[in-house]
Order: sequence, then structure tokens, then C-alpha cells
Amino acid sequence: MAIFAEIRRRNVLKVALLYAVACWLLLWFVRHTSEVLGLPGWGETFLWLAMAIGFPVALLFAWTYELTPSGLKRAVDVDQTQSIVYKTGQKLNAAVAVLLVLGFLSLAGERLLPKFEFLVPGIPQGDAPMSDKVPAEIRSLTLANGLRIIVWPDHDIPNVVMYNYVRVGGRNEYPGITGLSHFFEHMMFLGTEKLEPGEFDRIMEAAGGANNAYTSNDVTVYQNWFPRSALETVFEIEADRFENLATYADAVEAERQVVLSERRSSVDNNNFEKLYEQMRATAFIAHPYQFPILGWPSDIESWDENDLTNYYRTYYAPNNRTVVFTGDVTPGEIFELADQHFAPIPSQDPPSAVRTIEPEQHGMRRIIVESDTQTPLLHIVFHAGNATDPDTPALNLLLNVLVGGESSRLHRMLVEDEGVAISVGGFQDEGFDPGLVYFYLTLPAGGDPARVEQRVIEELRRVAIDGVTDAELAKARNIVIADFWRGLATIDGKASALGRHEVFLGDFEHLFSAPDDVAKITAENLRDVAARFFRVENMTIGVLQTAEEPGVRR
Amino acid sequence: MRVARIACCVTWACLLSAAVLAQGVTLPAVERVELGNGVVIVLLEKRDVPLVGLEAVIRGGAVSDPVGRAGMASLLAGLLEKGAGKRNAAEFAEAIDSVGGVLSATAGLESITISGGFLARDAGLMIELLVDMLRSPTLNDVEVTKLRDRRIDFIRAAKDGDPRRLTAIYGAAFLFGQHPYGAPIYGAEESLARISPATVRGYYRDYFGADRLIISIAGDIDASAMLEKLTNAFSDWGAATAPLPVYDAPVPAVGRRVLLIDKPGATQSYFWIGNVGVSMNYASRAELDIANTLFGGRFTSMLMEELRTKAGLTYGASSSLRRPSKAGSVAIISYTKTETTTEAIDLALSLLVTLREEGVADDMIVSGKNYILGQFPPRFESAEQLAAQFATLEAHGLDASYINDYGDAIASADGENIRSVIKDVYPEPDNLVFAIIGDADLLREQVARYGDVAEMSITDPRFHP
Repeated sequence: MAIFAEIRRRNVLKVALLYAVACWLLLWFVRHTSEVLGLPGWGETFLWLAMAIGFPVALLFAWTYELTPSGLKRAVDVDQTQSIVYKTGQKLNAAVAVLLVLGFLSLAGERLLPKFEFLVPGIPQGDAPMSDKVPAEIRSLTLANGLRIIVWPDHDIPNVVMYNYVRVGGRNEYPGITGLSHFFEHMMFLGTEKLEPGEFDRIMEAAGGANNAYTSNDVTVYQNWFPRSALETVFEIEADRFENLATYADAVEAERQVVLSERRSSVDNNNFEKLYEQMRATAFIAHPYQFPILGWPSDIESWDENDLTNYYRTYYAPNNRTVVFTGDVTPGEIFELADQHFAPIPSQDPPSAVRTIEPEQHGMRRIIVESDTQTPLLHIVFHAGNATDPDTPALNLLLNVLVGGESSRLHRMLVEDEGVAISVGGFQDEGFDPGLVYFYLTLPAGGDPARVEQRVIEELRRVAIDGVTDAELAKARNIVIADFWRGLATIDGKASALGRHEVFLGDFEHLFSAPDDVAKITAENLRDVAARFFRVENMTIGVLQTAEEPGVRR
Repeated sequence: MRVARIACCVTWACLLSAAVLAQGVTLPAVERVELGNGVVIVLLEKRDVPLVGLEAVIRGGAVSDPVGRAGMASLLAGLLEKGAGKRNAAEFAEAIDSVGGVLSATAGLESITISGGFLARDAGLMIELLVDMLRSPTLNDVEVTKLRDRRIDFIRAAKDGDPRRLTAIYGAAFLFGQHPYGAPIYGAEESLARISPATVRGYYRDYFGADRLIISIAGDIDASAMLEKLTNAFSDWGAATAPLPVYDAPVPAVGRRVLLIDKPGATQSYFWIGNVGVSMNYASRAELDIANTLFGGRFTSMLMEELRTKAGLTYGASSSLRRPSKAGSVAIISYTKTETTTEAIDLALSLLVTLREEGVADDMIVSGKNYILGQFPPRFESAEQLAAQFATLEAHGLDASYINDYGDAIASADGENIRSVIKDVYPEPDNLVFAIIGDADLLREQVARYGDVAEMSITDPRFHP
């Protein structure tokens, strides 16, 4: 007991406590600054070792020496009546308290103040959503090289969806390189400096993943669907092809033939697409939205390596892309992997803007495409707005009134009641630049395009004057709201919806205000939107039919 | 660069030879009730989004179409939403659209399926519409004639469109001939024209009834309330008057024969090469799935690798397995420009020989297993998907183990068994049926080397030669 009392009197326990707290703080500090200070990986291990060795030494020192007003003396030499160990003990207690407060402040700072995380180097956790309508678990982050990343964790199934949006499409093309955006989509599977052509797919599928990609007038989107276990593999090969793409001449030539085959199937031997292609080329006279996504055949046959290299450097840079992850992941692990694999890819000068604005149309345009067909096709289009045009949501509702489902006006009138068409549909481009609102009809064998055209135009004129009923508006809203929820029922739908809103509307958070936004749209808005776009001088009409007998037409 | 590539290869070699990575799927527990009259009800509560998914199955389907009237079951399916209960066709469509619902019926070879998706708040309406479609479809003369005529035009329009949608229909017609599996499910122009409103109503009376109905609902529902509602609606429904059709398994084709479908001016040829395959109950299902994945079931399959990636002959090439209750079809499907038709077909045939003679390599088997398992869970994600899965299991008399044990069966499939399954299922190259759509004037002589050629025009109002 005497020895224990003496240990306490000589403040050995307090020194031990102070030592432990100091070590904890030091380790915490080193762990959070090692990257900035450039400390080697074994630094922390070394520190642990040094501290462990130092501990008995410190205790022995505290036992042996004692602080006196005249300095450090061996404890056995100090006159017990003059000893100030009590005061020293109090100082030690104070020191422990100060260190503990410091430590807790640092921890609290790390946890509670994510905005100041640059003070605490490490893997960023991303920004939480601003709006309380947005699921709180979504995180977003922009890397230093400009790459935007959005993560929506959902642990329902052990799978992950990754959508990689590249802001390049038909609108970035010009005569001579039409279809290059789409061909580039194929190029991204044709080998890198590290992986030979086809390896990307082999690795992806061997790890349980599947992938695809599509090209539109505005964007090229790469989609990867894979089990959680393949996460690192996918990061590795995805980063590789966005940094080290290589051109293998043989593979490029074979792929040229693949694309020509794709074109033959989906355009040359497909009447809908045949007319669609001519419609866009007619409705637009200036803006590149006039080019077919797959490109004109002469261009497909003639791009060279230079065109490809320029495209890759300019448009595939991280500052021109947005990546969305949904599924069985945490934001932390995604940002850590992104830091490792995506952050090193250098940014580039932003691509030059698409300057051409389609001039206003002053009068109806009309085309005929001759092709062997049993069932004639009728397409009717008008110039409309872009994705951010304030009228776009109202036009979307109006399209639901006109062609959404079997109860829609045009379906009921033309297909069910009059039997002059066998199907009718419609959509609007919602791109970066003003696009088209598009109606397409298939007529029965022997159908009369002129008559159907007249009926469609009459009905569009009527809606521009009389508007829609309250019941029609309510129906259109319900269709949009139900589609909203359907889109969120799978991780694939979530990735697609987040990406679309981020890329085209500038912020993924807009996705979640969609149900409230449609509630604000009125029947008057729909009528105004019809009056704005459905004008004869803003219209292009196309018919696909079998060539008439020579001589009949004159 | 060379070093990097080697390092990569080593890494991936390790990965490929490693154990299978992903797990299988375990279906959630459901409430299953069989009413006294035979109606089976399956319910699952799932509340991630405020939606409810429906899948109702009437066993039967296109195999019970009367002889010469192919498309009957399919037409009836389409007519279920053209007026039922107290609503006429327009009112019925309005009821669905006005709440943003989706509800439609389609026929398959051996069943008619009604699929739906509604906001949870409209589940009551969904059930009301379902009950009307099944128990009191109007089937009046005007609607029957209108939809029948429109469908005839749809087939014409399809023949004007992308021929990729048609090769399998011609292929099945030519392979199975007069066996029920040979009839086009959707019908043909001339077979639909033979269907009168009275025969549709007669067919409905014969083949619809409680003894062959399965209702599967999943989503944001109260299962016990839903069960009560369905029980009240269906417990007094009687059985169908005609028995389900009985037929033998089709007999595999011996020798080779060719059907050439003329599409004048086509710049590309579309081919289907197949024979009789296996049924849904084939014992080595996992082994066969692995084999088919590797042969033509994914992007890096043998067919895609050789025909597309290496040779640039086509945009797509695949192998298809149709597995109904009796032996279905196994086929190679692809297309190429007219000038390379025989080059592409020869290459596809040589790959069939390679598959049969050399089987598939062990490292590819691991890759195929990972692929199947990795792509398996997303098929069971949404309420609508789950409702459909449970209905399909019930329709085939299977239980959850069909899905739950699948992961293990894939993981433990053995290379030797896979190779013997290949020999068992994939046809010998001497016994093949060819259906080729293209410009006959340019193809006639070239394709004669594959066997006796029967010829027809794509505008002929039928799919059988």
C-alpha cells in the first residue's frame, strides 16, 4: 500500500494519463495530415512503436524525478516538507483537461462541420441536398478536374448502376463528321493503351457486369450495370477508357462496317426511321439538329483518325461529363474510388459553344419519301423550345392530353372513332437547344394521308383556341406523377432520372420538384403553349408512301 | 505499355480463375391463397414507392387458338380493355389514363397475361377494372371488328418496318409447321381475317374461368384487405368450359431446309437458323443457361465476338432459347448486308460446329457464371417485376426454389455437364431449319447450298410458306 501511495504522490498516474491523451491527439493529427505533409505509409506504425517504447520511460522518469521550485531533482533527494508535487499534480490535471478539450473540439469539427473539411484533409463526403424534398441520402461532388459525381445509395439489391453522361452529340457535328458522336460511342469499347479491343467488355462481363451506351442529339451516355463486387473493377476500366483510349486501325475499320450495318437495319430497312431522318433534315435548315444520329453514310465511310483524336480530347474531358451512381454503394466509397481513379484525369479547355440558332420558320414545309410500303406514314412537326424553356413542362402535359394513351384526343378521334389511322404518338425534344415537337401516325393500308393531315391540324388548331378541359389537365398531371414514381422504382430508373435532370436542367434536385411543378401548370398554360407552337408557318409535314406509277403525278 | 498490358492480363487472368463472385437471389415470402374454385392469389407488401404492380395470368394462350385462326387468344387479350363491365371502350381507357395507370393484356404461347401498374391510392380501381376484364368483357361486334382490322394493318406495318422483329415468327412457323408452337401468336393477316366477333365470344366462354386464373399483386398494399377484396370478386366464378389443350412435344427437324422471304430492295439479309430445343422443365437449366450465355447470350459471346467484333459483318448476333412447357426452339439470329449473307451464315454455322465439338473453356465458364449471377438480382427489383415473377412461377406449377436455388445451381455447374448439355441441346449442323428475309433475286442461288429452298413474299398474308 505504501508503494501505491508513493506512486500516487509522485504523480506517476497523472503523467501516464497525460501521456496517453497526448499520444491520442498526436496520432489523430498525424493521421489527418500525413497526406499533406507527405509522410510515408509506415509513419503511423513508427509513431505507435515510439510511443509504446516511450511509455515505460515516461513512467520511470515521473517516479524518479520531481519538479521543485529550484528545478528537476531526484525524488529521493527532495525534502518532503518542501515538496510541491500537489501543485504539479494540479498542473498535470489541467494539461490533461486542455488536451482533452482540444481533442474533442477537433473531433466535433471533423464531424459537425463538413463545410470546413479542407481543414481536415481526407476523402470528401460530398454535399447534402439543399431541398428537403430531395432524399437526404443523396450526395454530390465536383472534383478539381471538373468531373461532377452524384450518388444515390439504395441497398435493395446488391447491384450498382453507373451512368456516365458526356456532353456531346449530334449538335456538335458539322458536314463531313456527321455521326461521329455515335461512332465515338462505339470507339469507347475498342481498346486503350492498356486493354486491347474487346477487353473492356470481356472484363466487365467476367466480373458480372453488363453495359451499353446511347447517343442522342445532345449527349452520349455510357451505362454500366453490375454487382457490387465489381465496383473497383468498373472504376478501373471506366477510368482507363476515359483517359487512355487508343486507336486500333483494324478494329476501327471493322466497327465502321458494324455502324453501317446498324444504319441499314435501323434506317434503310425501316420506314419510320427513313421518314424521321428526312423530317429533321427538312425542319432544320441551319442548326445541327438536322443531322441523323448515325450520320450520313458518306461521312461514316470517311472520318479519319484526326477527327477521332480531337473529339476525344475536347469532349471526353472530365469537365464535360457527369457521372451518376445508384444502388448498393455509399457516397464515401464512391468518392474515395473517384479520387483514386477519376481525379488524375486532366481537365481540358471547355468545348466551343454551338453558335448556330435555328432561324424562325416562315411557312409550311412538305416532303414526300417514296418507299415500298403497305401502310403509309404521316409525320407532323413544329419547332418548340429546349429543356429549360419555361413552356416545356406545359407542352409535355399537352402531349399527354393529345397522344398519351388510348383515351387521348388524337388516338380516340383518329384511331378509335374514325379509323383513319392505326396508331398515333408524339414527343418533344428536350435538348440543350430548341428542338421539335413531333407527331407520328401510321395509316391503314390504302389510308389517305391528306385527309388525316387535315384532321390533325384541325384538332391542334382547336386546342390552341379552346384549350383543354379540367379533366384532361388532371389526367395529364396524374400520368406525369405516376411516371415519376415508376421512374424511381429501380436503381436504373433513378440513375437515368438524376442524370437527365442534372445534365439538361442544371441540377438533379429539379427531379424531385416535378410533382409540385405540374400541379402549378394551368389549363390556360396548355392553351397558350399550343398557340405558341402549333402554327401552320411553323410546321413541317412528311408522308412516306409507295411511289406512284410514272405519269400519274403530272 | 507492354509491361502495363501484361500486368493487366495477369490481373484479369487471376480474376477469371477466381471463384464465382456474386450471390443468387432469395425471393421475399409472400401470402399465397388458393380459392375453392382454383383461383390462385399471391400477395406481397413492398413499400419503397407508392405504387402497386399487378400480374394476372390465364393459362391457355395461343396454343388454344382454333386451327386456321391464329391470333385468336391475342386478339381476345387486346379486346379485354375495349369495354368491360359498365364501361365502354372509351370509358375504360379513360378510367386507366385518368389516374396515370397502366393496364394491358397480351397473349403468349401458353397464357394470356394482364399486367398493370397504378399509384397505390388507385389500387381499388385497378381491381375493379381487372375483375371486369376477366369476368365481363363486352366483346361487341364493333370493337372486335375494329381491333381485328387494325391488327391486320399492324402486321402490314411491321413488315414495312425493321425486319429484325419478324425472323423468329417465320422461323417458328417453318420449323414447327402445324404444331401449335408454329402458329404466330399475334396472328397473320389471313388468319385474323377469318375471326368473327361470335367466334371471339365463344372462345372467351370456352377458355376463361377460375380454374386457370392466377392473380399476383405486389407493392404498397395491405395484403389482408386486398385478399378479402379479391376473394369477394372471384370466389363465385366458375370454371372454363373447355379443357386446356393437350399436345405432344414437337419433333425435331431432320436434314436441312430453307425458307426465303422476299423483301425486294432490302439492303440487308436477316436470318434465323434453328431446330427444336428443350422445355422449361429441362433438368440441366443452369448448365444450359451458362452455355447459351457463352454462345450467344451476351456482348462477348462467341457469336457477337466473331460476327460483329472481329468480322464487322453485323450489328448484332445472338442465340435464342424458347422454353415453353414442351420442347421449344433453339436458334441463331443475326443479319448482314446482302452481299455478305452466305459469309455471315457460314461463319455462324462454323461457330455452331465449334461449340458442339470443342465446348466452352473453363475460364469462360467462370466468366459466364459471374455474368448470369451479376445480372440476376435486377430482375426482381420493382413491385411490378416481383408480381410478374410470382405469377410466372405459379403458371408453371413451380415454387420459389426455382429462383432461390438458381444461384447455387449456376455457381456449382460443372464444366463436363455443360459440355454434355451443349451436345444434347444445340442441333447438329446437318439438321437445321433456315428462315432468311432479304432480296430474293440476289439471294436465291446463294442460299440454295443450305438445302431445299421454299420461297414466299413478305407481303403474303401469312407466315407459313
